[in-house]
Amino acid sequence: MLDYILIQAANGLVIGVLFALIATGLTIIFSILKIVNFAHGEIYMVGGYFGYYVITLLGVPPFPAVFVAMALTFLFSIGIERGLLTPLYSPSIERKADYGILITFGLSVFLRNIAIIIFGPFPLRPPSFLEGNLVIGGLIVSDDRLVAAGGGILLLAGLIYFLNRTVWGQALNAVSQSRESASIVGINSERMYMLAFGVGGALAGGAGALIAPIYSLSPSMGLVPDTQAFVIVILGGLGSVSGTIIAALVLGLSENLFIALLPDPSRGPSYANAFGLFIMMLVLLFRPTGIFGRQHVAMD
Amino acid sequence: MTDKDNCEASGRDALGRDALGRGVSRAASALAKLPRRDLLALGAGAAATLPLFGRTARAAEPIKLGWVGPLSPPGGYAEGLLMKYAAGMAADEINAQGGVLGRPIEILYQDTRGLPAEGTAAAERLIVEDKVVAMLGEFHSSVALAEMEVVHKYNVPIMFCDVWSQAITAKGYPQVFRNSTTFPLLDTMIGQWIVAAGFKNVALLCEQDDIGLAGRKIAAQVLTDNKVPFKLYTADPQATDFTAQILRLKAEKPAFDFFFILYAEAGAYPMVTESKSLGFAPTPHTGIFLSGGDGVDPTFWKNVGNAGVGLLCENVGLPKSGWNDKTKAFVTAFKGKYKTDPPGSAMESYDAVFSLVEAIKSTGSTAPDAIIHGLETLHWVGTRGLYTFSTSHTPDWAYHQFMAAPATVLQYDQLNQSSFDAPIVWPRPLATVSYLYKTPTA
Repeated sequence: MLDYILIQAANGLVIGVLFALIATGLTIIFSILKIVNFAHGEIYMVGGYFGYYVITLLGVPPFPAVFVAMALTFLFSIGIERGLLTPLYSPSIERKADYGILITFGLSVFLRNIAIIIFGPFPLRPPSFLEGNLVIGGLIVSDDRLVAAGGGILLLAGLIYFLNRTVWGQALNAVSQSRESASIVGINSERMYMLAFGVGGALAGGAGALIAPIYSLSPSMGLVPDTQAFVIVILGGLGSVSGTIIAALVLGLSENLFIALLPDPSRGPSYANAFGLFIMMLVLLFRPTGIFGRQHVAMD
Repeated sequence: MTDKDNCEASGRDALGRDALGRGVSRAASALAKLPRRDLLALGAGAAATLPLFGRTARAAEPIKLGWVGPLSPPGGYAEGLLMKYAAGMAADEINAQGGVLGRPIEILYQDTRGLPAEGTAAAERLIVEDKVVAMLGEFHSSVALAEMEVVHKYNVPIMFCDVWSQAITAKGYPQVFRNSTTFPLLDTMIGQWIVAAGFKNVALLCEQDDIGLAGRKIAAQVLTDNKVPFKLYTADPQATDFTAQILRLKAEKPAFDFFFILYAEAGAYPMVTESKSLGFAPTPHTGIFLSGGDGVDPTFWKNVGNAGVGLLCENVGLPKSGWNDKTKAFVTAFKGKYKTDPPGSAMESYDAVFSLVEAIKSTGSTAPDAIIHGLETLHWVGTRGLYTFSTSHTPDWAYHQFMAAPATVLQYDQLNQSSFDAPIVWPRPLATVSYLYKTPTA
């Protein structure tokens, strides 16, 4: 029994790291731009396809292709920010939160459908990072998952370093706390918005490229991770990167253990997503701002 | 000014006739001078040309057919797209041969996205706005169940293609026909194979929706009747990670020796690869069956790789050994145009167009009751064999069902094997190998 629980927990943590990668991108975008990016799942999907085509068309090896995909998704996200979100910074838009929701929701529908035309409707799968499994006693984890989790940890560590130890990261932190104060000390808010959206998108794209050998790519692959990312971001606390990471690990772990230990095994997978939402509701009842959240500040 | 001056100014003669009137008058005078025999011959010739004028006017107006199916998420858009292509090919071929009743056919496509509400709206649009004379298509049973209420309300015949729920024809609506297989036929066949192959403990996992639950019920009944132990599981249709579930299945005691998956969504491929990588199935100890159509999709091998060797699935097209000239021509044309083998669902869509056209041709009418009668009396050979539709209500799902819908169980034994070349293990009269089941290697 202990072996069984350990195996489930190990897989849950692996999945949690991948959730964290997607969700931290969403958190960064929200904490800086103060908008909910409903197209985040589709940016994750686009990143996955970037990775696939970088491997198949340019011959880049799978793991380096993740970083190329991240760079491409970064540029793609900046393009979206410049093209669609700059009205948010203008005083002419009164209800900025509503604008953000509508524009990103429309973008998500557009990207999902245009992907069918561009990439085709059939699932695609890039080559594995590493063929084979890690087997330790009863524990079996595919090497692809280990590489994806390792890559995810690397990226998250890089993100934390970037946010805390670099000038750009500290500038982002400053803008997330107070745009006006940041402006006073000479930080260009609009440039930070662009950077935040780019970094958030790049993280999602990196997650897509890491996950592709495991789950395959399809135009609709962003739907479920998008929902899970929202749950994680709310659970961890809107705007808190560390809260998001912890919430992602908790969610990955708890969903896996829920499926593993639910007395009725026939229904576990059907209700796993609902279980995550249930956890979120419970936490919000006692802690409305999430585990590590700050009081919500709207973009003005 | 005198009357004469007025007439001349307006171009009219003394009788008030303009140029046309004068011409007609001159023609009438000439005719009056013709012998009676010549007059009668001229009259007969004129009467003979009258239908041509009418036919030319009607030929310009196409006969509209409405196609419904998923072309975008969350529906099965991959299969929907192939079905749409096939329907378009059929329309092009029919029009190249002159259409039907001297009129071209035009297919109008509606994306139902795999959602019943969209299906209802699509059917309403096609019938009320576009005035289609018949409809065809669909890939999701839940959507078909919504669409059939609309066609029943407006009395428009529909030929459902790749929808397997028995409830669709069981309701007995005269407008509803189905040219694909149905769960009572398909899962009974698969269940019988599982029993014949000697499996002793089956894990039966289905997607948590109408199609999954309906199919599972039939398979479970066959296993129960034959006293084969099994356990039932469900999974979210949108899920892609099944690690926890598969680990749980693997830990069950006694161990499962067969994993039957009824799952037609994008998560089917990860389920197969995760099952293989976790050492559950396919292995020398546990077989695996993927039902729902993904086993014969164009990107099957790209997505599952080695995990597909030893996997079983159904094929709802004719086995290669039974291909007729139409099947061969269609497969060649489809592959040439779309660079992929057509799955059985594409053949269903292609044949559906022809079936409706044949019904119109045989009755000489596009009226709904005429088309319905034409389908009920249809005896037409398509890419999937001879089409006839049952008019019996026993069992209830047999009504307007293509009872001879082909379906075989195949088992891949090589990487990147075409579904057309994979060994057929069941039903035995169509089997291409002597064994019922080939145990996969480790």
